[in-house]
Amino acid sequence: MSAHAPTTPRFKQNAREALANKNIQAAMGNAQAGFVAKRAAARAALPEFDDIRDAARDLKNHVLANLDAYLERYEAKVTAAGGHVHWAETAEDAQRIVLDICREAGAKTVNKGKSMISEECGINDFLEEHGVRAQETDLGEYIIQLRHEMPSHIIAPAVHVTVPEVEAEFRKAHTHLDPGRNLAELPSLLAEARGVLREKYFGAEVGITGANMLIAETGQSVIVTNEGNGDLSQSLPRVHIVMASIEKIVPTLEDASTVLRVLARSATGQEITVYTTFSSGPRRPEDPDGPEEYHVVLLDNGRTGMLGTEFQEMLRCIRCGACMNHCPVYQSVGGHAYGWVYPGPMGAVLTPSLIGVEKGGQLPNASTFCGRCESVCPMRIPLPKMMRHWREREFEKNLTPSAARWGLAAWRFLGTRAWAYRLVTAASARALALAAMGKGRLARLPMGGGWTAHRDFPAPQGRTFQSQWRGER
Amino acid sequence: MSARETILSRIRRATGGGDPASVEARLAGGQGAPIPRQGRAEGDARVEQFIAKARAADATVSRLATADDLPAALAAELRARNLPAAIRTGADPLFDRDWGPVERSTGTGRLDEPATLSRARMGMAETGTLLLASGPENPVTLTFLGETHFVVIDAADIAAGFEDMWAGWRARGLDPRTVNLVTGPSRSADIGQTLQLGAHGPVALHVFVLG
Repeated sequence: MSAHAPTTPRFKQNAREALANKNIQAAMGNAQAGFVAKRAAARAALPEFDDIRDAARDLKNHVLANLDAYLERYEAKVTAAGGHVHWAETAEDAQRIVLDICREAGAKTVNKGKSMISEECGINDFLEEHGVRAQETDLGEYIIQLRHEMPSHIIAPAVHVTVPEVEAEFRKAHTHLDPGRNLAELPSLLAEARGVLREKYFGAEVGITGANMLIAETGQSVIVTNEGNGDLSQSLPRVHIVMASIEKIVPTLEDASTVLRVLARSATGQEITVYTTFSSGPRRPEDPDGPEEYHVVLLDNGRTGMLGTEFQEMLRCIRCGACMNHCPVYQSVGGHAYGWVYPGPMGAVLTPSLIGVEKGGQLPNASTFCGRCESVCPMRIPLPKMMRHWREREFEKNLTPSAARWGLAAWRFLGTRAWAYRLVTAASARALALAAMGKGRLARLPMGGGWTAHRDFPAPQGRTFQSQWRGER
Repeated sequence: MSARETILSRIRRATGGGDPASVEARLAGGQGAPIPRQGRAEGDARVEQFIAKARAADATVSRLATADDLPAALAAELRARNLPAAIRTGADPLFDRDWGPVERSTGTGRLDEPATLSRARMGMAETGTLLLASGPENPVTLTFLGETHFVVIDAADIAAGFEDMWAGWRARGLDPRTVNLVTGPSRSADIGQTLQLGAHGPVALHVFVLG
């Protein structure tokens, strides 16, 4: 993961830079309103939506409580269909497994459908270091691969890139095309990417895709896409590798359908994506196309450590991106500020679990706890609660900055002593009322400069609520 | 200890072994999630809803009385779309017929293929979705490599929603390498967050509903 070491520990600096970056601000401004409105419309069009969310939550809770049994059942089905299941404890193990399969296949080029697990494992860079070219085929992933970046959104990886930036990148990369060509219109950019990538599909020996789900009943892996690239990536090369994490299991086709009913609606506002593909094993003996080998890499990478803890519910996540689409912090700073693979509220919970609270501890602090993420999560994951758990862990491990620790200690002192609380709040209310000099608002606040930099602070009227309450009675 | 055993034993430590009886019940079909009204249409309303939903997903649809009407309808569609009078299909017996002026070739998908024709084994009205099963009759690459993809589906094969589609699917006893659910032509919003049709898969999808 050399090129993509987490910059999560410098979240604050990342966020400041993102706020000052005009391109990021322009791109984010475009994107978010669309996502929010489309999800709201999709939800309104399905009266049973919230009941299906409950069913999806219960389904995943059941799977997590019986994960070992379902994984064994799934593995047996894959093997029976002629596929191979590889178990990987860590990202490094997964890298090694994928490289070995590529070497066995004599692969020089690997075509990739979109896969967050492959990002988590840093597969592209690892393969490149070992002489295998990894070619992203999802249009968004292709754009950020050209820019040597990580995804800034889990379903719209290039959401931070503006159209002129895409054009500049294509002109730089596609030097075999006429430099005088017109790329001013969006369709011409899409057509160029389609043409360039289509030829690449036929040259790869191995195709890697992710999996939105793994079905225990049938041994199928499921991918959900709109472009069709994941299908070409798995159908044309001789070897298909699926990279999936262990919590992606669902029991049956009907259970997969319950998830599908909430997934696309929460993600893009579609009722269903254009392609939902179920793959099992290699091509059948009589088949004229499809891969001759089928491998599934099952990744743990810290997930079993979340089971049985206050973070277990995070393993229900189906990676729709609704939490980040609705997050005021994500909307302001974009995905790269989070510094690693998973941004937004789901990243703020998952990242400390996967790379450690020492490196990821700033993310759960980057929340206003407004609760929109939890309110839109199709799997009803209590994201703010889990961010609070991380803040507690960070505090226990003495990782919280000293100013914050001092503030928390002072708050605790006041909060557990009613007389002190009354004394200090009464004094503060009087002092702030005086300082406002009858204007009713304060333009500056001691130790509150960050707050008053953007708006005035409404001044107290002089008496606290408690003292007024006592007076009324 | 192998990675497999390590991972499984970590899970068992955390879950305390789970509840094997509930796993068997679930795998035997004890699901019980709500089925939306949208997935419960009946009779000809099912076909009508399938057509409306497919169109909402940017597919075009025409309804034919029988498969005998296919060659003329296909020729007319190709002409109307300014496409060459040629079609590539798999070995489905439904396609063994006289195609008149349209030249039919069979085999897998190719790099530059103006038009391909597949047969959907099933479909569902819930979302206007086609179910294609890979095999010699329907090579999977034909679904993705044609610029325009034509798909034939028998009206009787259109289910209301996921649940009765899967029931029908199990009853057919097929076990293809790939099952593709297809809803409309391919698309992407990865450039400028503006949705455009025709990403890597077909630019257009036309469905012939038989019966």
